[in-house]
Amino acid sequence: MTGRVEQLEGVIEKALVVGLALSTGLLLVGLILGAAGPLRWGIVLLMLTPVARVAVVTVGLALERDWTFTLVSSFVLAVLASGIWMAVHR
Amino acid sequence: MPAHHVLIYLFTGAAAGLVGAMLGIGGGVFLVPLLTLLFHVPIRAAVAASLISVIATATASSTVNLDRGLVNMRLAMALEVATSVGGLGGGLAASLLSTQQLFLLFGGTLAVMGALMMMRSGRRNVIADTSVDPGRLGGRLQEGDTAYVYRVRRMPLALGASLVAGAVSGLLGLGGGIVKVPVLNTFCGVPIRVAAATSAFMIGVTAAASVFIYFARGDVVLPIAAAVALGALPGSIAGARLGQRVEARALKIFMAAVLLLVGGRMALEAL
Repeated sequence: MTGRVEQLEGVIEKALVVGLALSTGLLLVGLILGAAGPLRWGIVLLMLTPVARVAVVTVGLALERDWTFTLVSSFVLAVLASGIWMAVHR
Repeated sequence: MPAHHVLIYLFTGAAAGLVGAMLGIGGGVFLVPLLTLLFHVPIRAAVAASLISVIATATASSTVNLDRGLVNMRLAMALEVATSVGGLGGGLAASLLSTQQLFLLFGGTLAVMGALMMMRSGRRNVIADTSVDPGRLGGRLQEGDTAYVYRVRRMPLALGASLVAGAVSGLLGLGGGIVKVPVLNTFCGVPIRVAAATSAFMIGVTAAASVFIYFARGDVVLPIAAAVALGALPGSIAGARLGQRVEARALKIFMAAVLLLVGGRMALEAL
């Protein structure tokens, strides 16, 4: 079991690093140029990074056939999604 | 925004991140008071900027902690059920509260945190016998040459603390680690380093539950949030390194007193 969990942790780590690197890059460009576009996208990408992390975990747990924790993780994803839904439809 | 303002916010984020990470309580505790009291940023915008920087620093620290094998992922997922609900509820409730009520709540929370910090105990929660079954939520921990096993006890209490931590995050932009870490360590049998790493891993998700609501309401002032988050990244990395060396009890008591003072000052804003 530990081998798979470690693999999963590796994937999560990559997702986090990519999200963080892209968003901080956009924020830096936005601040240096004084441009709202890169700032907005950098912030949105940063806000979505934890959501992507939960999505990756959910898929990983499902692949491990750990149904209890797939359910747990799906619930968290649903809460995050409903926050985004409320934000979009306000 | 003029360039020198950007630099000031970068520096503020770095300073708040440094001290917050050094003490293990997160940057928001100092960031929100600095932004509101010193720079007269509206409290909701300060909270939103804090949530954004919490996501940045939690993401950065998680990559390090995952590498070290300190994050208990299953426990984190289980507790995130409670923190995300609390976070979403807190974010929605924040729109119903007045500025005065938010200041008062922030001040009161800091005072409670200061008091908790003064009382915090540092006992260990590990079982030396590695043949013990850690259960589904427990885990193993390698510290130097020694392996430890721990079981998670009192899960309902851990979930309750996580719900409160989530609400504090959504309402005030604090990570909520100050609530979770002592409860997990003192009452639920989780070793302190695992508790801190698992809590930090969860904090980004907790902040993500409410931050979109702040964003949609227009509370995310782009240059402020961006500068503060970019400053908080190196600040909190340096703070986490320093924190491992600085374990002086005197410092914690001093900082607890600072929390009480800042809390009082924030509460005064409500008058």
